[in-house]
Order: sequence, then structure tokens, then C-alpha cells
Amino acid sequence: MINRKLLLALVAVLLIVLLAACGGGSKSGGDSAEPSTSQNGTTTETGDTEEGPPDPVTFTYFNAGASRKDVETKDTMIGKVYYDATGVNWRIEHLVGEVQTRIGTMIAGGQYPDVVVPDTEIDKMVDAGAFIDLKPLIEEHAPNIKRVYEPYYNLMEDDQGRIFFLPFSPLVGEYIPSPVIDQGAFWIQRRVLKEFNYPKIKTLDEYFDLIRQYIAKYPNEDLIGFTILTDDWRFFVLTNPANHLAGYPNDGAVMVDMETLEATDYGASEYMKRWLKALNELNAEGLLDQASFTNNYDQYLARLVSGKVLGYFDYGWQVNQANMSLQQAGNDDLEYFPLPIVFDHDIKDQYIDPPSFVNNRGIGITVSAQDPVRIIKFWDFMLEEENQIMNQWGIEGVTYEVDENGRLYRTPEQIEALRDQEYQQEVGLTYFSYYWPMYSPESKLPDGNAVAPGNQPEVAQMSFTEGDREILSKYGVQTFAELFSPPDDRPWYPAWSISLETGSPAQLFEQRRDDLQREYFPRIILASPEEFESVWNEYETLYNQLDVELYEQTMTELIRAKVEAVTGN
Amino acid sequence: MEANRIAIRSRRTKLSDRAFDTFNILFMICLMIVTLYPFLNTLAISFNDAEDSIRGGIYLLPREFTLDNYKYVFRQASIADAIVISILRTVIGTIATVFCSAMVAYTISRQEFVLRKFVTIIFVLTMYFNGGLIPTFLLMRDLGLLNNFWVYILPGLIGVFNLIVIRSFIDGLPEGLIESARIDGAGEFTTFIRIVLPLTIPVLATVSLWTAVWQWNSWFDVFLYNPQSPHLSTLQYELMKILQNSNSAMTSRTPASAFDGPDGGSNFVTPYAVRATMTIVASVPIILVYPFLQKYFVKGMTLGSVKG
Amino acid sequence: MQNHAGPNLSPALTEHDTNKPRGFRLFLKKLSLQRSLVFMSVPFVIWVIIFRYVPIWGWTMAFQDYKPYLTLWEQTWVGLYHFKFLFTDPVFYRIMRNTLAMSIINMVFGFVSAITLALLLNELRNLVFKRVVQTISYLPYFLSWVVAASIVSNALHIDGGIVNEFLMWLKIIDKPVNWLGVGEYFWWVLGVIDVWKNVGWNTIIYLAAITMIDPSLYEAAEMDGAGRLRKMWHITLPGMRTVIVILLIMNIGYLLESGFEAQYLLMNPLNLTHAENIDIFVLRYGINQGNYSLATAAGIFKTVVSFILLFAANNISKRLGEARLF
Repeated sequence: MINRKLLLALVAVLLIVLLAACGGGSKSGGDSAEPSTSQNGTTTETGDTEEGPPDPVTFTYFNAGASRKDVETKDTMIGKVYYDATGVNWRIEHLVGEVQTRIGTMIAGGQYPDVVVPDTEIDKMVDAGAFIDLKPLIEEHAPNIKRVYEPYYNLMEDDQGRIFFLPFSPLVGEYIPSPVIDQGAFWIQRRVLKEFNYPKIKTLDEYFDLIRQYIAKYPNEDLIGFTILTDDWRFFVLTNPANHLAGYPNDGAVMVDMETLEATDYGASEYMKRWLKALNELNAEGLLDQASFTNNYDQYLARLVSGKVLGYFDYGWQVNQANMSLQQAGNDDLEYFPLPIVFDHDIKDQYIDPPSFVNNRGIGITVSAQDPVRIIKFWDFMLEEENQIMNQWGIEGVTYEVDENGRLYRTPEQIEALRDQEYQQEVGLTYFSYYWPMYSPESKLPDGNAVAPGNQPEVAQMSFTEGDREILSKYGVQTFAELFSPPDDRPWYPAWSISLETGSPAQLFEQRRDDLQREYFPRIILASPEEFESVWNEYETLYNQLDVELYEQTMTELIRAKVEAVTGN
Repeated sequence: MEANRIAIRSRRTKLSDRAFDTFNILFMICLMIVTLYPFLNTLAISFNDAEDSIRGGIYLLPREFTLDNYKYVFRQASIADAIVISILRTVIGTIATVFCSAMVAYTISRQEFVLRKFVTIIFVLTMYFNGGLIPTFLLMRDLGLLNNFWVYILPGLIGVFNLIVIRSFIDGLPEGLIESARIDGAGEFTTFIRIVLPLTIPVLATVSLWTAVWQWNSWFDVFLYNPQSPHLSTLQYELMKILQNSNSAMTSRTPASAFDGPDGGSNFVTPYAVRATMTIVASVPIILVYPFLQKYFVKGMTLGSVKG
Repeated sequence: MQNHAGPNLSPALTEHDTNKPRGFRLFLKKLSLQRSLVFMSVPFVIWVIIFRYVPIWGWTMAFQDYKPYLTLWEQTWVGLYHFKFLFTDPVFYRIMRNTLAMSIINMVFGFVSAITLALLLNELRNLVFKRVVQTISYLPYFLSWVVAASIVSNALHIDGGIVNEFLMWLKIIDKPVNWLGVGEYFWWVLGVIDVWKNVGWNTIIYLAAITMIDPSLYEAAEMDGAGRLRKMWHITLPGMRTVIVILLIMNIGYLLESGFEAQYLLMNPLNLTHAENIDIFVLRYGINQGNYSLATAAGIFKTVVSFILLFAANNISKRLGEARLF
């Protein structure tokens, strides 16, 4: 009785809202709502006409490669320039949640946005026939796409000569490596180097000895000699060094012979054993972080920032946060310095990525797209050189300047302003600098400027701190990368991006090997030195029970196939 | 003699009573410390400078106070519209679910109902299986529920767990009450509305709370069915987006290394600080619902009032 | 079933009793007499069939090498391959053991803690204090596992974690324990964490049950001179009995669902031998590799086990004269 009125009111509200929402629901059917799309959309720059952009159209674009704020590109500075010139606006939707789920349901449902970047699920999109063949469109409408991508056609075509997507890494002009170490390195705290007057160290033994000596000198400071990141999928930080120390680049779990192109899984090799043995000894001496195997990623970063850890191995992109935080704290001594450490003096380090063409990531036009011609024309327009500069550098006078010699640069204020993510979004760099048909960021323009600002020496120098410059000068170099050997040419690189068939024995092997290593490596490292051999042997036995040969064979075949495609024989 | 014994006993009881009360209060205080801490900790981190938070070691108070994390969260997402949708789905979803579940619960509590066992079992079994993601997705597509608000309400219209719990409360009602209503000539629906609903308010409050929290926290259905309809986005989904933005800005593999050169990236957001802020933004509104529902848990109210 | 009607039968039916319709006709007759109950429930039965039973065709995936872009008829059928993969895996025994151990520990801890807390809350005399405790104790439920796990792993950290510091201060341990670094501890640590996160929330249903208890029972007991503990034991606890039994039966059906996020987030190379459960296995070998079929096979396996447990629990409860689900 108390509640009858309340109940009636609720039911009434319910009904009203039901009706209202039904109305709302029916509105939401179509996606590329704005009409237009005249079949042969004129993309010629009719910029002179006063009445705004020519024949406006909005395309939908789903990007599974990155998670960012969703936008309509015409709301960004760069997107506005494109919109005014071509009338094309993009509604970009980014991935939230699992990529497998989203792409899986898209395929099952058979409805796609106009353009999709499916990231790791690209094979499934192609298998599902979700992408249209771009080759005829390129031939007919897109001279720029042809100019940029034709050298890579043999890496992009399927067995019937069709091209379903455009990758992001075609090199145009000369190759410029990154001046900072965003790839793998053994990092060491700068105060350790300072203490011993900036010694040149090259081998793992020298590296660990330096750490030992420093701790011996300051026994009461509660220092941690070396820490390892092992959290979840980041476990490769523990396994990859074996390959790097032996003088190989980050090819994932295989070592690829440059002559024979044979792939070897180094999971139970002498290199791995030697690396684990070194860690085992370090642990026995009490120099290894005892929380190495329980720290999660956040705790690991916190440890690096705490200043107590003297050394670690990791990839630059993964410790970026910690390095920035240390930089902000302003104590140079506690910052880290990257070193190209190897096992022996006669090994040439190969930490820096060789030029590579990743041919299993890219952007494609789906079968749901109404006007593929207009899209391909837009992409072609993006590949004009001045537009490539705009996509990477932004707007002249706002996010970059040009000096009297025609060099592009950024002022310190511009660099500072661009550190703000939101500002990058406003300009549109966030949305245009990657995930489109593009020059690879390592490309160099004919006038000598780098395509990507990060690779322009002027910009890099500007972003170094006083402390960076000082320590670099002690080693007689200008950039961190100069301490590392230049990469050899490895046409298959990177092997970790070679995709194995879903559910294939080789893929299964990878999972089983990873599981085995995750279980055994901590035990091997934490064993007392007398037990090291026996635990290692136990691991080796189990490892050999897996189908290593088949895996190596599969990888070798795939690598050879890729090399063949790249070199054209 | 006899009187004496009773006196002794009651004194002893009082003493043990007081001991019990003291113990109980101390226990509750400990419990509150342990359960309040994580929330205060999260609150502290959400108000702490994000860069500084990486160092760890923040407990109850922020070390470097800032509102930047909140500013960031509120500027990144189209939160205003999303909040409206979140509230709508929570309110409509809760009312519809609780009402429908209670109604079905009533029917399966009627011993004489010939379909009782059939209906019960057909619902109960669904608790332990599901057809999987893709079949469910295709079903929603075929029902025209993609890019549609009703996909938040219809698939969860009856919570089976709720259904059973409500039924067990209805079973616990004195049979006479329902019988007497019937003798007065009331139909089943009237009996349900006028007798059963008011009598089961405590459990309805409980179930409402469960459903409301579940509705409020859902984001997966938005992700699955309505990702292309920004006007149907919910608060939780918007927050998930921000979280992933900050994660990927920091950790994504190849592309980040390619274009986040020395001038790229951001020195401001860190996943952890954003996560903490998000937790607060997302959970405070729904947490505030509880104190309002609490009055329905006050002892004896319902049965007493009806019987009296 | 139909014969149950007995005394509750509506008067209309008894009038016609002389005709004694039997079997199906009797059933139809009753159905039409009970049409208001039918109208109140059958639409929802249709709902449950559409929304819950129709998607079961997806189970066919477990017997296929499923590819999302092919129709049902174009798939490759692989028979019981995925089930064999699951059951013959060398670690299958281990993940089953972990799954069961964790869910039993969590269930026992969960029930005991929530019921105890509800009883104790009910004994608090100060209503304001009671409401404050209730509100605060349910806060951790609102933290996502991601946030909760990071708070937990900081608190349990070997180097300065608050739990170790506190226990050392109490002199219970003399050097820090690596709580998350020892496989054998994992189940128990997880059980405690689960209680911490959910106890307040789980209590709500019992508090609701307590409010339904007839206050006159307490008055009568007081007249008999019953103390606090005796009233708790003889009135409050039996008052919650039905709800406890029903929840218990439903939860027994969930024994193979030991949770996923908490294990995944707190797992590390040192404790994985005790942390990995079925869901994590399926994630690794199924979902992460785009293998929907394995995930479906595992789902079917879990459903079958659930049904067996559910019917068994329901039956036992029935025999013991307790409440039952159906």
C-alpha cells in the first residue's frame, strides 16, 4: 500500500523512457551518415571557391592499433587542412578492450567501418575477405601510393598478386636511425660510471664487475645490484638478453644466421645458459633484486625511480616513464645510461633495429566502404611530400619552424608544448603521424630533413638535458645511439613479427616454451650455485621434449620466404 | 534461592554482554581500517602528481597535491552525455529487472502452479552456461539490438540469481498472508503487487542494489554492441577508453618507438594515476546509493507493519 | 508434479473435481485456470529461450576448427579434438587442482565471513555506527581487481610491504615473507584477499534476511532468559537458513569458476604452479591464439560439471529436508 503510488509512478517513467529510447534507437542505424558521396568524387583542390570544402564526406575508420580519444579529424588542425582541401572528414574510432573480440565480432557480423587497421588480427580480416583489392585502384587513381609502395609490392601481394592493405613502414630516401635508445640496452646508473671515471665497458663480466665494485664501496646504502622485469607478457625482458649478448638484434625467440638464414631457438642454448648462470651467481652474492620475480610492472618502475637499483636490462620504450620521472627529479646521478653489452670482446653488438618492413600490419579499405575511389585518392593526397611533413611535424609556425637553410626544427617552447598529450590531439599529430599510408618515420626527405621530428638531430639535441650532454661528451659522442654499432642489413627483420598460423603446432610450441621458461627460469636463477646444473638439466630435458625442430624449421622457411620477397630472388 | 540464581545469571549475562559488545566494536573498527584503507589510498593517488606517483610509497595522503588527474579525465572523455546514459540504463535497467524478476519469482513460489518446476529449471540452468560471445553477438544483431539503447536492458531483463533469491524470500513469508488476500478475491497480479512486493522490500532493495551496481559498472556490452554509437556510450566505457589511452601511450610496442621520439609522448599521464582517478570518478556516484537503500534493512520494519 | 495441488487449489477447480479429468487434459485445465500465473511467467520463459538458449548453437564451435567468417556449414569439423587437447594436457591435473582448491577455499571463507559479519553487525546497538560500518566495509567491492591487485601486491611486498612490517612489529615473523612468491601460500592469500574485497558486499543479502525475522521470536527468547549468543544461534542464524542453503546450492554449481582476474593479476613466475586455473589456461591456449573452439570446449566441460554438482547439491539438500532450488 505504501508503495502503490511509487510503483505506478515508476511504471509510468519506465514507459516514457522506453518510448523515448526507442525513438533514439532507431536514429542510430547508419554510420557514415552524411550524404554526398558522389561516385567520382572530385578531390582536386578547389580551394579557391568561397563556400567551404568541396563535396564534404565523412568516412568511418576503426583503429585497433592504438587507443586514443576518438575524434572527427576535421576538429583537429591538420584534419581541418585536409578537410578544406578535399572535403574528407574521418570519424576515427579506437580500440577499447580486446582486439580479438572486436575484430571477431566484426567479421562474424559482416559489417565493417569504411577503413580498418586491424593490428594483430590482420590475417583474419584478409582471410574473411573483409578487405578489397587495392591494386587496381592504385593503378588508376594513385600515382603517389604507387611511387612509395611499389618497391615493396612483392612483400605486399598475396599469391594472386592482390594487395589488401598498405603497411606503415615503406622507406623513402635514406635511412635515419633514432638518436635515442628506445630499443634494448643494459642500463647502468650514471653515478656508477662517474665513480669509476667513465670506463668503457663492453662485456657482461665487466658490467657486473662494475656493479659489484660499486656496492663493495658503498655496502651500507641498501643498494640493489640488478633487477629484472618478469611481469606477465613482459617476461621476454628476461629471455631476450641471451640473444643480444651474443650479438643479435631483437628477433624474438630465435637467432637467425645471416648466411644460411637458419633460425635457431636459443631457449636452451649455451648463450641462455651463460646468461642465466651469470644471474645465478649474482643472486648467490646477494646482488640480484629479491623481488625481481614478484614485482609487477608498476612496482618495477617504482624501483627504478627509487634510485636504489644500479643496473637492469630493458627496452627504452618500456622504461620511458621511469626515465622521464627521473629526469624531472633532476638528479643526474640517479639517471640511467644505456650500454651495448655483449658476452665477449670480439662480438659486435646489434641492439639497434635494422631497417625493416613490417608487412603484417597495415590499413585497408573494407567491403562495406561506399566510395573506395575517394578514399584511395585521399590517401594518395596524403603521400604528397608536403602532407607527409604536415602529418609528422604539424603546422609551420605553430608546431615547427623552418630556418634559412630550409632545415625543419622546433623551438624549446614548441617541444615543451607538444609534451602535452591533449595539445598533440588538438593539432592532430596523434591521429595523423601513424596508421595511414605513409613514409616510414626513418625516411629522409630529398632536402635532407628527417620525416619524423624525433629523428631530426636538431630536435634530438634540443631535448637532451645538461647532464645528458655532459655524460655523452665524456664518451666522446653526440647521441646515445652513437655508442651502439650500426645495424647490419637483415631483410627478414624482425622475426618476432612473422605470424604463425592460428592453432598451428609451431604456435603451440611457442606457448609451451614460454610457459616452461616462466616456470623454470626463476628456479634456475634462484638455485644455489651447486644446484644450478641439475635444475638447468631438468629444464633442458623438458624443453627438448617439445617439438623444437618443427618450430625452427617453420621459422626458417618463413624467414627465407620473406628474404626472398624482399630481395626479389 | 530461585530468585538468587536468576539474579546471578543475569549479572553474568550482563558482564559477558558487555565483553561481547566491546569485542564486537573493536572488531568492527579493525574491519573499517582494513576496508577503508584501499579507498583512501586510491583517493590519495588520484590527487597526487602523476609523475611523482611512479615512485610509489603513497599511503593516505597525496605527496604532491594536484587536480591535474581529474582535469585530464574530464577533458578526455565526453563524460557529460555518458553520465546521462549511465544513469538511464541504471535506473531503467534496475526497475525493469527487479520488477520482472520479482514477478516471475512470485509465480514459481506458488506451489500449485503447474508450470512451476518447468519455469524454475529453465531459468536456473541458464546460470551455468552461455552460448559464447559470437553467437550472442549475432543474436543481438538479428534482433536489431546493435547500436540500440535496449541492448543494455533486454538481455539482462531477468537476473536468475536474483530470481531465486527473491523466490526464497517469498517462500519464507507466512502462507496465511497470501491466502487471506486470495480469499478476499484478489487475483494473482493484485496479490503480487499489493501483498508480496511490499512484504519483500528488504530483498528487493538488495536485488536493486546488485542490479544497479552491475548496470552501472558494465562496459563490455557497450564495447561489443554499441561502439559506433557515441551517443550511447556510458561513463564506464568512456573511462575504459581513457585508461587504455594512457596505457598505450606508455607501453605500446612498435609504433610508439617509431613516432614517440624525444619530443613525442607525454610527461603527464601515467596509467596508475589515471586508474586511481577513474576508480574514484566511476565508483563514488554508485557508492552513494547504498546509504539511501540502507533504511530498508532496518530490522523488523516490514513484517511488523503488515501484521500490526 | 501436477498432483501437488492439494489444499491450495483454487475453489473453481474443486467444483469440477467430480469430472476427474486426467493427464494432459487435467494439465490444460489447470493451465487455463492459472492463466494469470501463466501470463506473469511465460513471456519471460520466451525471453529466456531467445536470449539464453538460442545462442547455444555456438557450442558447435567446440567440435570445429572455428573460423568466424565461415557459416556453420562451411566450418571444418574436428570431433573431440579440443576436448582431448584440454584433458590430455600435462598440466591439466594441476589446473584442475588449483581451480577446485581456490574455489572451495573462497567459497568457505566467503560464506563463513559474510554470515559472521552479518551476525555481528546485527548485534551492534548503535545504529549510526552500524550504518557507518556497513557502508565502509563494502567499499573494496567497488575497486576493480586491477586497482585492488596493485594495492594488495604493494601491501604484501617483501621490501617494505605493510603486512610484513606489521607482522614484524608484532614479532610474529622475524624476517619479511615473500607472500606472493611462494606457490603454497597462494590459495590462502587469495582466499583472504577475496574476503577482504567482498565480505561487506556479501553481507547485504544476509542483513536483508535478518530483517525478515519476526521480532516476536526475540521477545519470546528474552522472556526465557536467552543471552545474546543463544539468540544469535537459535533465532538469527536459523532465520537466515533458507537463504544460506539456496546460495550454497547455487555456488556449488559454480565450483569450476574460481575467478580469473585476481589470479591473473597476482600471478608471477614463482607462484604460477598454484595460481593457474582453467580460465587462465583457456586464455593462454584459446583466446589469445584466436582459438574460440578451445574456449567453447572448456565452457561445455564446465557446464556439464556444474549441472552434475547442481543436481547433486539440490538433491542432498532435499533429502536433508532443507530448502531446495527446484
